[in-house]
Amino acid sequence: MNPQRWSQIKGLFNGALERPAEARTAWLRAECGGDAALLADAERLLHSFDTLGGFLDQPAQVDPEDVALAALPEGEPDGAAWGPGDRVGEFEIIRAIGRGGMGVVYLATDRRLRRNVALKSLPASLAGNPELRERLKREARAAATITDPAVATVFSLEEVEGHLLLASEFLDGRTLRTLIDEGPIDVRTAREIALHVARGLRAAHDAGVIHRDLKPENIVVGPGGTAKIVDFGIAWLESPGGTHHTKLTRDGSMIGTPAYMAPEQLVGGVPDARTDIFAFGVILAEMLSGRHPLVAGASAPAVEPPLQRIADRARQPDPTRRFADAHELVAALEGLAGTASVQSGAAVVPGRSARFWWEFHQGAAAVAYAAMLIPAWLARGQIGGLEGRGFFIATAIAALMASMLRLHLWFMSGQHAGELVWARSRSAPFIRLADILLVVSLVVGAGLVAAQSALDVVLLALAVAVTIAFAFIEPSTARAAGLESGSRGRPEEPQPRTPPGPPGLPGL
Amino acid sequence: MPLVYDELRRIAARYMGRERPGQTLQATGLVNEAFVRLAAERSREFQNRTHFLAIAALSMRQILVQRARARHAAKRDGGGHQVTLNDISAPPAAVRPEFERPDADRPGDVDVIALDQALSRLAAFDPEQARIVELRYFGGLTVEETAEAVGVSPATVKRQWAMARAWLKQALEGGAE
Repeated sequence: MNPQRWSQIKGLFNGALERPAEARTAWLRAECGGDAALLADAERLLHSFDTLGGFLDQPAQVDPEDVALAALPEGEPDGAAWGPGDRVGEFEIIRAIGRGGMGVVYLATDRRLRRNVALKSLPASLAGNPELRERLKREARAAATITDPAVATVFSLEEVEGHLLLASEFLDGRTLRTLIDEGPIDVRTAREIALHVARGLRAAHDAGVIHRDLKPENIVVGPGGTAKIVDFGIAWLESPGGTHHTKLTRDGSMIGTPAYMAPEQLVGGVPDARTDIFAFGVILAEMLSGRHPLVAGASAPAVEPPLQRIADRARQPDPTRRFADAHELVAALEGLAGTASVQSGAAVVPGRSARFWWEFHQGAAAVAYAAMLIPAWLARGQIGGLEGRGFFIATAIAALMASMLRLHLWFMSGQHAGELVWARSRSAPFIRLADILLVVSLVVGAGLVAAQSALDVVLLALAVAVTIAFAFIEPSTARAAGLESGSRGRPEEPQPRTPPGPPGLPGL
Repeated sequence: MPLVYDELRRIAARYMGRERPGQTLQATGLVNEAFVRLAAERSREFQNRTHFLAIAALSMRQILVQRARARHAAKRDGGGHQVTLNDISAPPAAVRPEFERPDADRPGDVDVIALDQALSRLAAFDPEQARIVELRYFGGLTVEETAEAVGVSPATVKRQWAMARAWLKQALEGGAE
């Protein structure tokens, strides 16, 4: 059944039901024109409707015993079973390291490149379905283009003796699930893990790959505190939102992770980047409280509010109220005070008052700049003519622009703290331009008015004040508020692609 | 991980001690009770009921399908396993053969596995209808709750629900392509 035909039938079905029973046949015939097959389909469906009886009339009856005994999702591995030493194509199996609904995962050696890989043997049923296999190839290829330290690298998808094998970077760490189960994760570690994951999502989404089944089980935390997302490119096979999963596994076919699924995904919507962002929010909230947010109660330990705010925003039920994309998410996390110092290992967490002084400076500067229009207006009268008018217009434009942009940042700081760093970096060049223009026009104005009155002193003083404010005071308040990382370089600077041999992250 | 799932299992276990063996209850009751309990724990903050119900409906579908499969498997294996009841690590399928009931033993029951498969086929060309069936049938949601969860009007839910039922019935009878 293709969707177009289905919607044709739907129109006929609904239309027929709106008409009295005796008029239906005639109406259907007229609607279908000569399409006999369409007519037959619609009539059969209507007949089925007329004879529904009690079919699905009542909600499912469940035997409590069934529910109580239902095994936790684990699924029967559907892939091939190999033992240590077995050779599969160019791979030599070392040992099985895990199993999931999608098959068994092995630690294996790629003999061509002499490196260890995680080898996932995908269900044989996949190989028999050309459509699914094509999609898998496409997704795996896209996933292989993601090069980010926070994403487990996908090496290759191979077909060996009728088996589909996905080789990816072997990670020797613990899953985030294990860490969470041990209790709440301290704020600094949570922030670091969140930042890794967010950057991984950013890289993946930029490559056009959505995870669709992001969950703590799919995040591996290495000994060095580095977090990596696994299963990019194949998670959709297992995700409950996928339409094919039931065909893929013999048991536990419906097994997925509804607890991390966004509302739109649960109701059958098309997952997009924001679906992953939702899952991210749930995971972050869970890291902070040690419990899934659906059950985390008022007893959740007090956590650093900005991080909690990021989690809350990421998991808004309405996708449009979440972060628009992973870039925004990363910027918000990097904007959190102290992010840079966490990376560099120092423990400098700026206080609340630093942010207050920065905000105060923004507000005060905005007011002062606007007030400069008064002396500028007076000077215009003194200078007179075209020059006077030109001076005033230039000063007014510069002063208002500088003032407005600062008010905007002030507002962002209060209302959308998470996006402040991003907003600031976007408006910084304009603020700088406005400030320089203002200083220049004040100095020029002082020169022009010098012949007529003593206003030149006032204008010059204002020019000096603006210069000092924007060259010295503002940067220092911003640095104190953690909005700039000072000499350590900008926070969004990419991390080294391959950290120098982190222990326990082999595969290279 | 699966909290809703766990909660459903906990509640069901309590019912087991209370009711006669073989006694069934509606998914609606189970799902709503799970919501009430989880919501109580979460008190203040918990607000998104429909999101929860959607999760619960999906969990119920998983549970029912899984149990139906386990029963199938148990019948196929013919109860060859020797497992004591104390062996909690044994899969339920291995423990239960002795007191297994036949499938489709109660009137009005549908074949859950076939329904699940038909539903997945339906989802391929009409995901919204498939969701509505999942929420209405497996989650026991009312038309209004379903409408809220899916984000459409109650009238649309009714129309879609009618057509989905008709198609599923046809599919289970082996008549739909």
